[in-house]
Amino acid sequence: MRHPSRIWTAVLVLSLVTTEARAHAFLDRAEPKVGNTVASPPREVTLYFTQKLEPAFSTISVTNAAGQRIDSGKARVSGSQMSISLKPGGNGTYHVNWRVLSVDTHTTDGNFTFQVGQ
Amino acid sequence: MSWSEAGLGDGLIAVRAVHFAATANTLGALIFRSLIAEPAFGATPEAVPVLAAQIRKLAWTSLVIAVLTGLGWLLLETMQITGLSLWDALTQEGLSTVVEVTQFGQVTVVRLALAVLLAISLAGERVWPVRRLTLVSALAFTGAIAWTGHAGSTAGDLGILHLVSDVLHLWAASAWIGGLLLLMSLLNSSARHQSAAWRKLEQNAVSRFSLLGIVAVSTLVLSGAINAWIIVRSWQVLLATAYGQLLLVKMAVVALMVAFACVNRLWLTPQLAATAAADASLQLARNSGIEFALGLAVFAIVGALGLQHPMIHP
Ligand code: HEM
Ligand SMILES: [Cu+2]
Repeated sequence: MRHPSRIWTAVLVLSLVTTEARAHAFLDRAEPKVGNTVASPPREVTLYFTQKLEPAFSTISVTNAAGQRIDSGKARVSGSQMSISLKPGGNGTYHVNWRVLSVDTHTTDGNFTFQVGQ
Repeated sequence: MSWSEAGLGDGLIAVRAVHFAATANTLGALIFRSLIAEPAFGATPEAVPVLAAQIRKLAWTSLVIAVLTGLGWLLLETMQITGLSLWDALTQEGLSTVVEVTQFGQVTVVRLALAVLLAISLAGERVWPVRRLTLVSALAFTGAIAWTGHAGSTAGDLGILHLVSDVLHLWAASAWIGGLLLLMSLLNSSARHQSAAWRKLEQNAVSRFSLLGIVAVSTLVLSGAINAWIIVRSWQVLLATAYGQLLLVKMAVVALMVAFACVNRLWLTPQLAATAAADASLQLARNSGIEFALGLAVFAIVGALGLQHPMIHP
């Protein structure tokens, strides 16, 4: 190694940009897609994660543009995917909040929106 | 919540670290008995009672520690998952819910049952020929750890590969680290006795352990690489996440352990055969002790590693 100090600088920089990695099951994709627009109010929302989930400790809530909860309250989990049925909620921006426990016992949460109409 | 989040996290790391070390010593002692001690005993009958008693003592002590830390792990994990205090977790269905509905809880109960089976088998050995059962229940008790962590939560066919490789990883770690204390004690006994019979036993056991070590280290590196590939996936994640960096530290400690093992194998083992002096035995014992201590450090790192996760997705 001709420049050990450079290596140490690189290590230092890397550790500074290190994210405090606490998350475990990450949202891989969703249907309706994150940030996308769909023509009519969807019947349900499905989230696909990177790991298998524990049904008893995994929840989703969905609110419509008026801020009303329009999910059925009961999420269905199958392996690494989780779905919840929706009541008709009109047009506008829908907010999805999720909080899941993956099978490795680690909890993660997050949220995203999608648009309905136009 | 009566415990701070940080305290709970540290408690989990500690209890997992001790649990990994204890299960490895339980299984390692029994593997040592089957693959090293018993085949090597032949010419040295006077060593049998000494070593057999030490093996049983290590297996029993480690098993008791493994069960206690296993219960502690279950309790802390329940507090973590439910957000309840220790008292509430015990009294307000927190524990029963986790045990009934989560994979971690179910696997932990199965593992406790396997520990009981192992204890019964270990106790019954003197009366019934159940040594196979002892070994098989120890393999199951240790291997089942795979289902409690990241390997147990990977979906699909990749999940099966992840589990198989993690089970092999756990078995190989146990065979290597869990045999070192017994090897040390055998070497020290041999140095003390200074008899031809003990020296013969020692040489036989050391060469068997070298072979076991080579197989175990190869298995660890291969299965560790598969685990790392499934979880980490990119050089960027390996270098720039806390998970990746902790894994790199682990690999550095493992490299040091392998270096010590190579010195033992390539340099000290031939001396053992060449000289009748006790020096080589004692030095080999000391190096094995260092290897064991580094192994404990690896278990401590893994205690933390399994709680972390790389940011794979943006
Ligand atoms: C080059 C060598 C190695 C590599 C690349 C490696 C890699 C890994 C990886 C990626 C994991 C998964 C951690 C997680 O669940 O997030 C792991 C787990 C583990 N490793 Fe290693 N490892 C190596 C050597 C060792 C050695 C020598 C030991 C024994 C002292 C060891 C003991 C363990 C244990 C006990 C686990 C926990 C398994 C579980 O939670 O299911 N590893 N290793
Ligand atoms: Cu995780």
